[in-house]
Amino acid sequence: MSILEAKNLSFTYSEEDGKGEEVLHDVSLSVEEGSFVAILGHNGCGKSTLAKHFNGILLPCGGEVYAIGMSTSEEKNIPKLRKNVGMVFQNPDNQIIATVVEEDVAFALENLGVPHDEMEKRVSEALDIVDMLAFRKHAPHLLSGGQKQRVAIAGIIAMRPRVLILDEPTAMLDPKGRKEVMHALHRLNRQEGITVLLITHYMDEAVQADRVVVMNEGKVLLDDTPAEVFQNIGLLQSVALDVPQSAELMYQLRHEDVKVPLSVLTDQECVEVLADLLEGKYGDYRNQKFNT
Amino acid sequence: MIKDITIGQYFPGESVIHRLDPRTKILLTIFYVVVLFAIQTMWGFLAAAVYMLSIILLSGISFKTVLKSVKPLAFIIVFTAVFNMIYAGGTPIFAEVNWLKWLTYDGVRRAAFMAIRIILLVMGTSFMTYTTSPIMLTGAMESLLSPLKLVKAPVHELSMMMTIALRFIPTLVDETDKIMNAQKARGADFETGNIFRRAKALIPILVPLLISAFRRAEELADAMECRCYNGGDGRTKYKIYHFALRDLWAMLVSLLLLAAVILLNVLL
Repeated sequence: MSILEAKNLSFTYSEEDGKGEEVLHDVSLSVEEGSFVAILGHNGCGKSTLAKHFNGILLPCGGEVYAIGMSTSEEKNIPKLRKNVGMVFQNPDNQIIATVVEEDVAFALENLGVPHDEMEKRVSEALDIVDMLAFRKHAPHLLSGGQKQRVAIAGIIAMRPRVLILDEPTAMLDPKGRKEVMHALHRLNRQEGITVLLITHYMDEAVQADRVVVMNEGKVLLDDTPAEVFQNIGLLQSVALDVPQSAELMYQLRHEDVKVPLSVLTDQECVEVLADLLEGKYGDYRNQKFNT
Repeated sequence: MIKDITIGQYFPGESVIHRLDPRTKILLTIFYVVVLFAIQTMWGFLAAAVYMLSIILLSGISFKTVLKSVKPLAFIIVFTAVFNMIYAGGTPIFAEVNWLKWLTYDGVRRAAFMAIRIILLVMGTSFMTYTTSPIMLTGAMESLLSPLKLVKAPVHELSMMMTIALRFIPTLVDETDKIMNAQKARGADFETGNIFRRAKALIPILVPLLISAFRRAEELADAMECRCYNGGDGRTKYKIYHFALRDLWAMLVSLLLLAAVILLNVLL
């Protein structure tokens, strides 16, 4: 059963004069429980707008959205939806409410009315999962970007949601911080079985997902495994998206009639393929004439 | 440089005074202020001074810091003392010197009382913020004012606003720094010119800061909603304050002070 589902969703931000540009057109998408899905797209393609529909922050103008089997359009479902579909935003500074790490992580639990003893347990648990237990008494504004974002994630997973939606959580972080956050996300997905919906414009993050959804101008353009998606190099470049460098190299080689596989995404895979190529596994490329 | 701004002057520590329940500290500060105004004898002030002195010693905060808290008020203290001296009336000290007629025994007494009272008052109240973090004070205020919820006073909302304001001070200070640097890089001049010019130069800082604060507020509101924030109803608290034995002792000692003051008032 799919845990998140959008059916023919369309959405328009209403302007003061009552008109506005349609941001999402007829989007249909479903996400299976336990999967790790990346939504990829250029700025303004509607990916953040789509994400905000899954816990009822935004309500559809047309079509329907279901999360954990409930419609987001019904007011009475909202508290349950918010608890089960956690959302993390881009800027950690604007998500942290308290002046002490552990108090911030406890914020959602306070709102849910969790008893005090249970709260302590869950705060420690959540901080442990994101590897921030040692910082529980620290002031958030003294932490690094990656640490702050992990605190923000802990604040959400303390609610024990079934789905975690992240809206470009690494966009404001340095490479080290990005790595820390991605590591935490994969751990949550694999060990805790939490469904992860990651919105990003970093290819290397999308490559690590089970499934990649590419959006452009409010529509779903591609929806498949990373290996399949990144073979459409021409199409991706036409919507101003990069492809992983390994995939691009394979694409160029293919262009020159070297019979390398196209489903190469990570650096490691790329190295292996190139080693095989040098050993002559993909035919004798030495006699080939290259155009470039 | 701009980062040095501190609000409420809190000195972190682990002393008994620091560990007192913040609610006790708020209540006892109010109590102490009341006691100070009840004092009518020099011996009473001596008792209060001993009380204050033991708090200072217990807290481990240096006398220099404590004196600094009184310094900005030196003018007000002198001013009040002088006025009390002049307008007290009573028997002049030097009855035969005509131009010193205003100097009376009563006047000197009242001036001294007033000065000592203000000094002890400022020391006592600043000690509350010295030994309690702003966030603890906010929490304690919410807890103390919670009976007002019965008359529909927005106690939780006020304390949430305070918490968020405290949380965003460092963030916005950082941002101000960044905007200032950005404007300086474009040739803005904040240091020269008269006061009007300088005030005008602040506009290019305030406008972006305000806009960014609104944007942050909007994102924060979304993030709070995502974490099931729904106002104060049905909320539990992570930070629970417990009255401990030391709070009882603190109250007892304060009551002793009151008893001593009353006794001295009556006896002398």
